[in-house]
Amino acid sequence: MSVLTLAVPSKGRLMEETLARFAAAGLEIVRRGTERGYQGHMPGLGDVSVAFLSASEIASFLKSGRVHLGVTGEDLVREAVAPGDGRIEEVVRFGFGRADVVVAVPALWLDVDRMADLEQIAPVFRRVHGRHLLVATKYRQLTRRFFADHSVSSYRIVESLGATEGAPQAGHAEVVVDITSTGETLRANHLKVLSDGIILRSEAALFASSLSPWTGAAEHLKAEIAHRLGA
Amino acid sequence: MRASPDPAAEARALDRLTGVACRILESRGFERVEPAILQPAELYLEQLGEDLRNRTYVFSDPDGEELCLRPDLTLPTCRLYLDQHPEADQPARLSYHGPAFRYQTDADDPHRPREFHQIGLESFGADDAIGAEVEVLSTVDTCLASLGAGGTVIRLGDLGIVRGLIMSIDMPARWRRRLLRAFERPEAFRRLLQQLCTGAAPLPSAVPERLLDRLIADDPARSEERVQEYLDAEGITPVGLRSVGELTESLLALVEDRRAARLPGEVAGLIDSLVAIDVPATDAVTRMRTVLGSRRVELEGPLGAFERRLDDLERAGLSLRRMRFSAGFGRSFAYYTGFVFQFEVEGKGQLGHLAGGGRYDDLLEAAGAPRPVPAVGAAMHSERLLAMVGERLR
Repeated sequence: MSVLTLAVPSKGRLMEETLARFAAAGLEIVRRGTERGYQGHMPGLGDVSVAFLSASEIASFLKSGRVHLGVTGEDLVREAVAPGDGRIEEVVRFGFGRADVVVAVPALWLDVDRMADLEQIAPVFRRVHGRHLLVATKYRQLTRRFFADHSVSSYRIVESLGATEGAPQAGHAEVVVDITSTGETLRANHLKVLSDGIILRSEAALFASSLSPWTGAAEHLKAEIAHRLGA
Repeated sequence: MRASPDPAAEARALDRLTGVACRILESRGFERVEPAILQPAELYLEQLGEDLRNRTYVFSDPDGEELCLRPDLTLPTCRLYLDQHPEADQPARLSYHGPAFRYQTDADDPHRPREFHQIGLESFGADDAIGAEVEVLSTVDTCLASLGAGGTVIRLGDLGIVRGLIMSIDMPARWRRRLLRAFERPEAFRRLLQQLCTGAAPLPSAVPERLLDRLIADDPARSEERVQEYLDAEGITPVGLRSVGELTESLLALVEDRRAARLPGEVAGLIDSLVAIDVPATDAVTRMRTVLGSRRVELEGPLGAFERRLDDLERAGLSLRRMRFSAGFGRSFAYYTGFVFQFEVEGKGQLGHLAGGGRYDDLLEAAGAPRPVPAVGAAMHSERLLAMVGERLR
């Protein structure tokens, strides 16, 4: 077993930018075996084993301590653990993979511009339609915490694992909590972002798990990686 | 804390504790029932306050149905009663004991276990409201005393009093609904009160003045046409269940809010001072009358009831010197509507709430009764009692 395990995204731009950032810092990641292998190492540093995983797996591996370090989106980490939880610590932010997690409602709702407006219409909606406002999202925990902070309680979450922004049009939900970079997709689906509805300005970052077995050697490797990445 | 308690001794102590309490409940005519542990999630999520909602274990069964582990036994007891009496036309006095489940972030906190036991009683459909309240409270007191946990402080509250004041103040019905709804969250309540005094909150920025100017207060149909014209001109496509008609109604309400007189500052101050009252129970009514000043006339109903309740509690053998009244107490609890109480051990911190209960007149109807049914109940926390008096029972 290696001294330190690092998880990096296994596909897409997030993987490319991660590998490029590590290479630029003199921490080239080399895959074992074929080009498509899911294991790698870091010849420039020492006994580091690299695992290529999906971004959401990385968040849950960090939470449980199955990897020491991991690169993933802040949105997925904040969904996995509450702020101040202590199980996952941010080491260095990367500036790529930027996206906002936002609350969006139908553009039709001229009377709803802030979370406080949502709090006002929610019980009225319930009286008229005999059910709560439905919020489509894959960010269950982020939504719960944010809505609670804004005293919005008359709502239910419906889990949405894809094409969330289409939920209102399809009649599956009224409100959407989703990730967006320009808001274009939301506008195309006749939605608007609430003016105080930005839950998180997310970007990719290197995170450390506090539950992993941290030996002195592992700490040392972590410090070196953080240093070279400019933390 | 003892490091690792002997599980057999713990089980024996729990049995003895439960036995003592349940015998008293049954001897007072509260028939024992065994409500289901698995409950439909929907009803719970609708009825619980914010606090319990986020701590309820919800899951899907193999058939895809949403279920939860009961976070208390009151609603399961209501459902069990309604299964037997769908018309809710028979008074009932029921008691129970068993496990309940609430998520806690710290899995190892001995004072807040995720899985714990409650012993409780519920009185449904009693004509004599105060009589039922006094009976429930004094029965809990007898149980606690028999277990060696007597003489605790009893904190009293009455959600009906602040509600009564809000209902008696002249303001648009919509404001009243918002205040009543916000009452369970102290911060939101204070903000809203302030907002109603300083003038309605600023308009949502997406609402254009030129549209509001064209709305006609007493003509929703023509107003809706004008909203529709605006939407067409702006190229806004309606999506979702909420209709243009509902939007129009909401915009008309905004217009009305702006025209309505503000809430006078002294009225907001009055509500604030009433909510802040925290005094020995014997001073409660005098203090409330003083704070209310000339408005006490409108609240004579609930105030008089509170006085009678205190008299009856004393007559039932409970010393008022043990009781403290806090007007804001119980505001964030799930489903209570009136009198609330809690047995507290001073200086025990989180260990200190041994039992609590109150009146919840809306819950049976929410659970399916054809009309509101008066109901009052209470539950004791077995683990906290064990922590306090367990040595004698082990």
